[in-house]
Amino acid sequence: MAIDFTKMLYNPAYAELGVKAMLTTTAGVVDITVIDDTRPKTHTSGGVEARSVGPGAFARIPELMSKNVDRADYINSMLAFNGRMWIIRSYELRGSPNGEDLGDVRFLLKSSDD
Amino acid sequence: MTDVREALLARLFEVVSNIPNMRSAHRNNVDIPEDQMPAVIILDGDEEAATDTSTRPPTKPQVVTMTPGIVVQVQDDNVVLGSVITTFRQELLKRVLTDIQLIQLTGTNGSIRYLGCETDVGWTRTGFAVLTARFTLKYPLKANEL
Repeated sequence: MAIDFTKMLYNPAYAELGVKAMLTTTAGVVDITVIDDTRPKTHTSGGVEARSVGPGAFARIPELMSKNVDRADYINSMLAFNGRMWIIRSYELRGSPNGEDLGDVRFLLKSSDD
Repeated sequence: MTDVREALLARLFEVVSNIPNMRSAHRNNVDIPEDQMPAVIILDGDEEAATDTSTRPPTKPQVVTMTPGIVVQVQDDNVVLGSVITTFRQELLKRVLTDIQLIQLTGTNGSIRYLGCETDVGWTRTGFAVLTARFTLKYPLKANEL
């Protein structure tokens, strides 16, 4: 019998590391749990380094699907968590041994302050 | 006693420091945090003397070509990033190529030329762009005046 990674891995990890987030799509507003994945980011060009952050967040695809958030809704949706508001500029599916629809998605974010 | 190379680089720094809407200016600082952007960085770069096979004394003037780099870093909305970096390029070229002090420092046998630029874009907290402009500055090196 296949291991249920949602039950054995993702749900406990999100219960421990996740924070409440508000996702605003064109269809409405839903509360989800995300794991903050904001990382330092260095861009080197012309021999000079620029230091900033690459904001990101993980979310579980089953939770998004259960709240009627489809892939087509991801880009340009607003995601608020940990006191900041971001815009989803892109995403990458992370997959799961049980299939990509049971894995998580990494949202690539940009500042909403522009 | 004057080191023309240092005088040119110092003046170049002054010129780019006055570009409108630039938050910070640096010389040979290669590590810029985001709260310093838009930033302009002068890299001293290399220099090369003109080939001279004559038997003239070493104290005679010889023409040296400097190749400093000027890097502009910008963080902004990805949609406007292109026009923002282009505006900085325009200001940069105008100020470097028309600066009277730079022209005087290069002397009558010297010159200032724009070689071109490279751009690079990416993502950080917002959109991010870099423009690296290259110039040549030719000046007479006079050993007796160092």
